Amino acid sequence: MSLRQPYQADGGVRNFKDDDSDVEEEALVNDYREQVRYEDGMDDLDRTISLGGSSQQDISAQLAAAATPLEFQATLETKFASYDNYCSLFHYILNSEGPVDLEAPSYFWAWDVIDEFIYQFNSFCSYRQRVALKADNEEEIQLLRDAPNTWGCYSVLNVLYSLIQRSQISEQLAAMQRGEDPAQFAGEYGNRPLYKMLGYFSIIGLLRVHCLLGDFSLALKTLDDIELNKKAMFARVMAAHFTTYYYVGFSYMMMRRYADAIRMFSHILVYVSRTKNFQKNAQYDSITKRNDQMYALIAICVAFHPTRLDDTIHTALREKYGEQFTRMQRGGPESLPLFEELFRNACPKFISPTPPDFDNPQINVDPVEHHLAIFMDEVKNNMWSPTVKSYLKLYTTMDLKKLAGFLEVEPDKLRNWLLVNKQRSRQVRWGEGGLLDGEVVNSSDLDYALQVDLIHVSEAKVGRRLVDWYLRNLARTY
Amino acid sequence: MGVPFDYAPDRPEHIDVILNGLDRYNPETTAVFQDYVMQQCENQTYDCYANLALLKLYQFNPHLTRDETITNILVKSLTVFPSPDFSLCLSLLPPHILTPHAASLSAPAAGDASLPEAVQKLNVLNNLLGGADYAGFWAELDSDDLYADLVADVSGFEELMRVRIAVTVSQAMRAVKRSVLEAWLNLFGSGFEHFVGEVCGWVVEGDTVKVPLNKENEAKGTVVRENVKFDQFSRLIKRAYEQPA
Repeated sequence: MSLRQPYQADGGVRNFKDDDSDVEEEALVNDYREQVRYEDGMDDLDRTISLGGSSQQDISAQLAAAATPLEFQATLETKFASYDNYCSLFHYILNSEGPVDLEAPSYFWAWDVIDEFIYQFNSFCSYRQRVALKADNEEEIQLLRDAPNTWGCYSVLNVLYSLIQRSQISEQLAAMQRGEDPAQFAGEYGNRPLYKMLGYFSIIGLLRVHCLLGDFSLALKTLDDIELNKKAMFARVMAAHFTTYYYVGFSYMMMRRYADAIRMFSHILVYVSRTKNFQKNAQYDSITKRNDQMYALIAICVAFHPTRLDDTIHTALREKYGEQFTRMQRGGPESLPLFEELFRNACPKFISPTPPDFDNPQINVDPVEHHLAIFMDEVKNNMWSPTVKSYLKLYTTMDLKKLAGFLEVEPDKLRNWLLVNKQRSRQVRWGEGGLLDGEVVNSSDLDYALQVDLIHVSEAKVGRRLVDWYLRNLARTY
Repeated sequence: MGVPFDYAPDRPEHIDVILNGLDRYNPETTAVFQDYVMQQCENQTYDCYANLALLKLYQFNPHLTRDETITNILVKSLTVFPSPDFSLCLSLLPPHILTPHAASLSAPAAGDASLPEAVQKLNVLNNLLGGADYAGFWAELDSDDLYADLVADVSGFEELMRVRIAVTVSQAMRAVKRSVLEAWLNLFGSGFEHFVGEVCGWVVEGDTVKVPLNKENEAKGTVVRENVKFDQFSRLIKRAYEQPA
């Protein structure tokens, strides 16, 4: 993202704000600006913003509202109003003359506001899609038809990118990576905690939005500036930490980089299990569901890419998904419904960014089904690999026709399976650099080659691990 | 050697600029990307990251969608199997694209195939390739005239696929029966001998084809040894200092 233009620069950026509500909003904000100039002597905290043209609302109440979830049964009107609320708030923060002098209500506020903003975008799009598919609520359909730009993807992305640019957070993070003082690169806005935190969490917000839209490579690319480790800024807010690893892990999984996905899920699950005793609060409760989802995803990834897991994770996985885990690892057609079930439960609530086609209700398929179908094709390609591997492990050489006899398949079919398994055992794995970097490595402990119809099998043996044992015993003797 | 997913050796400067800036969301760049896809089809180059950016523009601005460009992108992504590119492209297409009734629903006039129908056809090819059923792939490709239309824009499609198949074969085989390989490459007689000998550098001996040893097909047993870093001992050494003997 080297070419970030300022918010209202020419070119592509203008296209972000081509919806009508922005025009209205512009008028409102101008109206507001006049008032502010008029009351210039007033205390900052007493600044008010005109909302919907009539009610005057305290800005700090608005800040708090932006970070508060909507009621579960919120009506469409509430959702529209909430969208307008966000628009005016972000417009105020981004387009006032100079940085606004605001104190964020709490340390977590910046995360909460971005989190809630995207959550509402997400649930609005899902809801709209469902309404169109069911096609039985004329009233709501009409409301949605009339407001095609509410919660539009361009406005949501516009907010996130603008916050990132305003705060110059990418420049700051790059400076931190070079070991320089980020404050030098922060500019007028980025030096204020409010902008800095909003900008930072907007990067994570982008990761999430791209993933929800099915753009997994761009999702990973977004995190180029952020180093994933426990010292990163997001690690200070548990929910942010958690969310980041979930989406990064999921994106890796969809790019078929299972080893990397497992690494991400393991990292955060170990972290959660170690810190759960200190986190007995609401924040922790809200992540329990996500936690289970990640165990399901890790089970899927391990089925694709058998590997040794951390002991704590392995135990928890057996507890939660023991039966499914074993059957998925066994493969074959019987495992397909399990993959489907776990994927459905554990995937993000994918969305389609554009308004649905209200005139053809049946084509407004839930995007989750779309991604599931794509994913299941890959599962089907792979489902014989466990069987093949379990036999090959027993031999050093084996005749293809004989093995085909054992498995009761055509030799030609078996040859295909062998090719598939060989290809899937070569995976891109991250070593250093950006998340999209990586090298192709052999990820399996079993390797083989065919000499016409003779399969030569070789195994990568893992030597004994002595260092841990040695260190543990040394520590005991001291 | 690994290369980052977003890297393409032949990517022109101006595309790179768009991809790294906010112009990647600007509907006006659609034309630039479309030309770039045409260019990739013509010069047998490939840039998945840029093509995904174009599909994203279509995702955001459905009215700009050009079916032909979408299918060209998908066909291009078949030529790099078994990488996940085809699936990644599919993920950015409208959610109904893979559902069976969508294909019949929006059938346009003049006997053209609808986009869902074309995409589903290509998905069949992708699954055959994913399952390494190469003979099945060629048979399927030959079974419907629609395929010929779909791959027509991609220059050297069949050749590219053969090279790709040969690569996967060389990873898994040291020698392979001629008849099997003929079916996989869909080449016979002197065409087969030419491709195997000249392009791949393999040797035909009677009814077997020998593939020279490479890193992937030698399948040598290895012992993974522990990689011990000095850091692991840091605590121990620190403790040794702190505690007087």
